[in-house]
Amino acid sequence: MSWLGRAGARLLPAGRRDWAEAVWAEAHEVPTGWPRLAWRAGGVWLIAREATMVRWIGSRLVFAAAAGAAAWAAWPAGDAAMVRADVIATVLLLAGLPLLARWVLGPPGSRAARRLRACGYAAVLALMPAKAVLELFLGAVPRGGIDLRTYDVFQCPNAMPGQGPVVNCLVPGTSTGGPTAGSEVMLLLLTACGLAVLLALTARRAPVAPATLAIGAGAGLALGAAMYALAPLGFNPAFPDRPWLHGGAVDPFVALFWILLFGGPLVAGAVAGWRCHVPADAGEASAARAWQGLGAGLVCGGVGAAFVTVLGTGTTALLVRSARVRDLLYHGQHLTASAVYGRSCSRAGTWALISCFSSASRSSGPC
Amino acid sequence: MRSRREFSPQTLSVLAALCDQPSRWQHGYALASQTGLKSGTLYPILIRLADRGLVEACWQEEPQPGRPRRYLYRLTPGGLASAAGALAARPQQQPSGRPAAVAGARQPGGRGAAAPAVP
Repeated sequence: MSWLGRAGARLLPAGRRDWAEAVWAEAHEVPTGWPRLAWRAGGVWLIAREATMVRWIGSRLVFAAAAGAAAWAAWPAGDAAMVRADVIATVLLLAGLPLLARWVLGPPGSRAARRLRACGYAAVLALMPAKAVLELFLGAVPRGGIDLRTYDVFQCPNAMPGQGPVVNCLVPGTSTGGPTAGSEVMLLLLTACGLAVLLALTARRAPVAPATLAIGAGAGLALGAAMYALAPLGFNPAFPDRPWLHGGAVDPFVALFWILLFGGPLVAGAVAGWRCHVPADAGEASAARAWQGLGAGLVCGGVGAAFVTVLGTGTTALLVRSARVRDLLYHGQHLTASAVYGRSCSRAGTWALISCFSSASRSSGPC
Repeated sequence: MRSRREFSPQTLSVLAALCDQPSRWQHGYALASQTGLKSGTLYPILIRLADRGLVEACWQEEPQPGRPRRYLYRLTPGGLASAAGALAARPQQQPSGRPAAVAGARQPGGRGAAAPAVP
């Protein structure tokens, strides 16, 4: 047992090894049996605690459990190789990118950084099953009737009246639907870019202060909430797509949306730049403020985009899966799943891009 | 909320045990027996106290034959002053259900008795 204790002590920083070895040496004074075993268990706990292994192991266990649950929920029952490949690739991306970021930029630099990373990971994992539901729904061609017509309309939007000449989908039911390799790769690249920005901004060597992350995240949540309230199912000009905002009630949210889309990152960047501690040198101070402004703007846009993407896709998936939710949001309209899917258009990814790019371009302005 | 300067009841019990004979070096097991704390609780407390300069530690110079060297602890002069102040200021009435450790009630065990002073 003593060799085990000494080996465990090697995991600790130099200044802590004596303490771990002390517990093991002292175990010889403790009565044999359970008391000695309990004493040594305390030594193991000390090593785990001082080596910050508790957090290390705990975070990886939580990630493994959450990723496993998300993959299980997203895993298709039938023949859907593309969806399965997407699930596997997303999990590998989530597991591998932090290792790369740690090697290049170091571990997360603060509690705010760790929390932001955890929220980002939770968003990607929550998106996995919702996205799988929609992709599987899209891949399953309805047998006929209104569902098939709506399906064809959605699969081939230019078949809709007033949307230009029909290119394909001339015969109802000939659409195949489902995700394509190209669309999956694009979505994976988008996810990878978002995660890379998140990991870079929250790394120890990144010149972004914890307060900047908090300011950006707060503004991003407000932006995302306004976007979701305004367009929970994306924007589709052919259908009313706001189940809970009718008539003039939408106007204040439209105004709020435009203000937050451009003003949110701008204000977050300005506040972060103003609050940060800057060096005495004027040039370095400007650079520091610019970094904080850019960081807050990027975080604001990213959080807003992730918020509306996860909730929007999740709401659409719920509407497709549950007749009760459909009746709740579109009370009395007796819509089928495919009709609801036709109303939503899953353009959250577009909003994510708009939000991120607008934040990146606007936030650097005041600094 | 407790401020950073205040000590937890468990830390106070360790300080009380070390204050009993401040000039003597004490062993971990003796402190554990005296305070009733488990090793997983006692040693992190000792580490924090040492980090704050309140406790000094060293390895035993002449171990007993057939036994490994033991790590010894005692209060520094600064630690003695802090401990005396904290122990004087602590509430006399301990809340019910607190371990006896807080009151420093347990007596040291036979083999874990305090070590003689190390020159």
